[in-house]
Amino acid sequence: MSPADSRKIRLLLLQNAPLILFLVLVLVFGSLSERFLSPTNFMNIVTQAAHIAIIAIGMTFVLLVAGIDLSVGANMYASCIVVALYMKGWNPVFGFAVAGFLGLLFGAVNAFVITRLRVPAFIATLATLFVGRAIALYLSGVKMIPFGKEILLLGRTTWLGLPVPIWIFLLVFVIAWVTLRLTTYGRQVYAVGADPEAAAKAGIDVRRILFSVYCIAGVCAAIGGLVSASQVAAASSTFGFQKEFPVIAAAVLGGTSLFGGRGGVVGTVFGAILIQTVENGLVMINADPYVYPLVVSAIIFIAVLVDSLRTGMLERLERRKIRVETA
Amino acid sequence: MTPAQTTRLDRPGLAPGLPLWRRLLLSEYLVLFLTVVYVAGMALIVPEILAADTWRDILAAMIPLLIVAIGQMFVLVVAGIDLSATSVLAFSSVLGAAVITMDGGPLVGMPAFLVVAVGILAFMAVGGAVGAFNGACTTRFNMPPFIVTLTTMMFFSGAAIWVTTLLTDDGSSIGSLPREFVFIGQGRVFELPFSLLIALAVGLLAHVALSHSLFGRWLFAIGINPNAAAVSGVPVRRTMFWAYVISGACAGLAAVIYTARLETGTPVLGQRILLDVVGAAVIGGVSLFGGKAKVLWVVFGALFLTVVDKGLQLLGLSLAGVFAIKGGVILLAAIVDAQRQRLKGRG
Amino acid sequence: MFQKQVQAPVQAPLLAVRGLCKSFFGVQVLHDVGFELAPGRALGLIGENGSGKSTTMNILGGIHQPDRGEMVLDGQPYRPKGPKDAEAAGIAFIHQELNLFKNLSIEENLFIGGFPKLVRGLPFIDRRKVRTRAKELLAAIDLDLDPATLVSRLSQGERQLVEIAKALGSDARIVIFDEPTTSLTARETERLFGQIQRLKGRGIAIVYISHILSDVMRLTDDIVVLRDGHVVATAPTRQMTVDKLITSMVGRTIDQIYPPRASRPREGQPVLEVEKLTQPGMIKDVSFQVRQGEVVGISGLMGSGRSEMARILFGLDPYASGRILVDGQPLERPTPEVAMARGIAFLTEDRRAEGLMMDGPIADNLALPSLPNFAGGFGRLIERTRLGDAVERTGRDVQVNARDFVQTLVKNLSGGNQQKVVIGKWLLRSPRLFILDEPTRGIDVGAKYEVYKIINELAGQGTGVLVISSEIEELIGICDRILVMSHGEIRAGYDRAKFDRERIMRSAMWDSVTKGGR
Repeated sequence: MSPADSRKIRLLLLQNAPLILFLVLVLVFGSLSERFLSPTNFMNIVTQAAHIAIIAIGMTFVLLVAGIDLSVGANMYASCIVVALYMKGWNPVFGFAVAGFLGLLFGAVNAFVITRLRVPAFIATLATLFVGRAIALYLSGVKMIPFGKEILLLGRTTWLGLPVPIWIFLLVFVIAWVTLRLTTYGRQVYAVGADPEAAAKAGIDVRRILFSVYCIAGVCAAIGGLVSASQVAAASSTFGFQKEFPVIAAAVLGGTSLFGGRGGVVGTVFGAILIQTVENGLVMINADPYVYPLVVSAIIFIAVLVDSLRTGMLERLERRKIRVETA
Repeated sequence: MTPAQTTRLDRPGLAPGLPLWRRLLLSEYLVLFLTVVYVAGMALIVPEILAADTWRDILAAMIPLLIVAIGQMFVLVVAGIDLSATSVLAFSSVLGAAVITMDGGPLVGMPAFLVVAVGILAFMAVGGAVGAFNGACTTRFNMPPFIVTLTTMMFFSGAAIWVTTLLTDDGSSIGSLPREFVFIGQGRVFELPFSLLIALAVGLLAHVALSHSLFGRWLFAIGINPNAAAVSGVPVRRTMFWAYVISGACAGLAAVIYTARLETGTPVLGQRILLDVVGAAVIGGVSLFGGKAKVLWVVFGALFLTVVDKGLQLLGLSLAGVFAIKGGVILLAAIVDAQRQRLKGRG
Repeated sequence: MFQKQVQAPVQAPLLAVRGLCKSFFGVQVLHDVGFELAPGRALGLIGENGSGKSTTMNILGGIHQPDRGEMVLDGQPYRPKGPKDAEAAGIAFIHQELNLFKNLSIEENLFIGGFPKLVRGLPFIDRRKVRTRAKELLAAIDLDLDPATLVSRLSQGERQLVEIAKALGSDARIVIFDEPTTSLTARETERLFGQIQRLKGRGIAIVYISHILSDVMRLTDDIVVLRDGHVVATAPTRQMTVDKLITSMVGRTIDQIYPPRASRPREGQPVLEVEKLTQPGMIKDVSFQVRQGEVVGISGLMGSGRSEMARILFGLDPYASGRILVDGQPLERPTPEVAMARGIAFLTEDRRAEGLMMDGPIADNLALPSLPNFAGGFGRLIERTRLGDAVERTGRDVQVNARDFVQTLVKNLSGGNQQKVVIGKWLLRSPRLFILDEPTRGIDVGAKYEVYKIINELAGQGTGVLVISSEIEELIGICDRILVMSHGEIRAGYDRAKFDRERIMRSAMWDSVTKGGR
């Protein structure tokens, strides 16, 4: 086996690391708890994963252009608190429209600071994370705010055998998938993520693409927030707190690279389910709840490590040669 | 090119001929000046801001923040970032307190000075170890520093809480710290808080390390152009690694002060100052893009943030309101930094 | 020797370029450059590095605007303001560094600027139409690949062909190839040439830029030779030979003066011995020596492996096999730190990216490699006065023209002065062996002379000097011995007594001269 071959095998292993991880986890949890492998539990996992998946789908757009949005949790809180405070008794469709619009505004602020004012994305969204949370806390008076009954009803309703949160998640997923795969815009997102300079030369409006992805992430954060709201009944002061972690983890575990240009929403959904599986499994085996964040962060760490190693390896494979060695 | 053309306005505070307001705007004392203006303005509404007690509070709040921010500066110089600093505060507070607690700790019965010395070392070692991990990940595996330190932040915040639940019955905090240790946070020497002396020592040491040592010169070189530094024989990876270790160790030292002041090791330490740490450095003028830093700037930045915070509290603003405004100020500082960087790119 | 006027082409010119002049920072790089392109004909554009080829092409592509001169496309004045204008005018570029998105498929790359839509006004891509048109385009260039294949899976040659398909897809009337074959295998090259012939058959005008003269001879109908920004020859290809091309590229003028080589290389233990140094894909079996006080030149074209070899010697890149000996002692797995400890200094070809901290002051730049020598005692504090004196002295020695080394930022210096700072920072370490990669690139004649003088003096003091340059003239002027590299190997070596411009160029153009090329 030539060194190039062994490199390719290592790459293949790296690329499938999350899948391997998933199988190992399922086996471990399954052997430790009988309930874990039941169909009901699987449905539970997917329902609980719905909101993370929705937000992570938005995050995928941002990661595809090598950006990051740390403010999704704050956005989710800020957008939903408005619905909880001022829209009791309204048709939930209006709730989604208003929350989505607020999420869009939040995302647009991020986009403006990042693309126009050229502040690094992580620091810009870290700052808006704090500001957004603070505004939401201010609005709520740091109190627990219950959501309207109509929102809660949404969480309990099933349609054609599936809970509504899953339907919303599927809708967002299909729209995102179609956008990324089947529209000019989607393909240009990939192009910008791979090489912004070449993208500009190919006549793509790079700034518009960069701006738009943060807006999409904003809308998804708000919608995901309401889906989560339909399951938790009330917005406490920690609603959406540190949500960015499982969200980024879901996307990166699903194979979307932090370095841009690689990945997609199918993987992200898989990642979200994986993350939720871990949490669910920990509950099932009665693990110490204080260990959850340790496990989740360790998983994110592994995902990022794998992504970095893979990116480094691909770069080495792609390096330009000046001699053509004849085999 | 004549030499006359080569003198530039890069240190415009020294440039003659500019209008006063522009000189001020570009001066490194701008933040200090803004602090004075802010205090003066506040004094009209809440005169308490001028009271000695207020300033004692401000000083107390500023000292540990300053120490963490100075550590952060070492990472920012090489265009990195350490978001894990706040979790280091919590984690080393818990582990350190566990080492020195008189309530069944391993050092019970040892001479007091030894307990204190071992304790401080333990705090800083925990911080340094987390920093070493961050440094290894960014320099060896080329992982983006912000995501590495974000995950370690989450991990060690969680670990701090988890360890506390393992070590204590109620899972909240570890008390019974020796009196000599508490002195570090609460004691006074010649009417000055002891912790102020520590901060001064850290500041001085950091200044010497940054501006007068080989290590400091290497940090700046890497921050300005890592490729040129590597070609000039600078051990880029090793130097960057130590920057992260320093950041962690500084956070550990700040945890000593916080813990001693509270008389307990607690996992909720520093949860809210994540942005303040980066903010203090960036507001002072340390660049997020690397290669620009000074200890004095960080002092001004930390002072400004603390004073703003106190002023808003005196105004009776809720915690949330204070957060919103402070976050905005920090965002503004980042924007100013980015614009400066852009202008430099053009020049 | 050649006709200065191109013969009236059979058809009316598609593009006429007349009297282009361009200066950068006061240095004129193009003087009255002119040529014509006709549909279905290929024009070869050749010249040494820095002769003005890229500037000319950048003007065509709208990246630079000319100071004077005009371009007429199809009878209309053509004044591109950016790459988009060039594309709209039907001019496509195929660069050495390809502009493809490796994470996308072939068909997506073909249409990334604008996909055919399923329904007008809606954003959905008509996948079927993309597929059929992609198949057509690929068929037109005989590329038998599934259009859905990711570009990252393609070989370099296939990527080149995809670029051609892209040009076809955008209805280009002029396609410009810039060194398209450097990273292609022989078979891929043949295939590319076949396609270029077919493009001509479709009435597309070709500009072909290459160092491989035999290819230029084969492919083109007319040839324009540039030297120092002047068109020195324009003629139909059939009136040319490789020999004639080389002669006109090299020229006969000696417009630079070199300081006399006063000292001679010393006998005894060589400073540097390189034995069979090999790194797959980069260099192969490179062996040579540099003696004390000897100035050895490395000649070669861009991409010949000369800079790569220098980086390996200095420990910036790894090598797979072979040996490096400094002063007779092996230098194993070097890093820059280790190489420097053994007395090696290295001036990189990319001054801005690797040579200098552009945003730093002169003094800091001069001091950087020597800092450990000025840091002593506990905490390794810098001895400021001693360092300041040394920096000041060295800066004056190499004659950096600035009043204050501490205040003046390097980015505000001229290219020549910047280069003196790079040289100065290494002289401060008194190197045993100084490797200089393109030491006079982008600096004016006066500064060049000063650089040559410094090299001469260094050699006089017994330092071994290794100079890499694409200017043969320069190497002949300052070296004791010249080695010629091509395709990662050393092809020839000449002693000072046997220096001959054309023979050196011929060795560097090894592909063109040996039968069958690669």
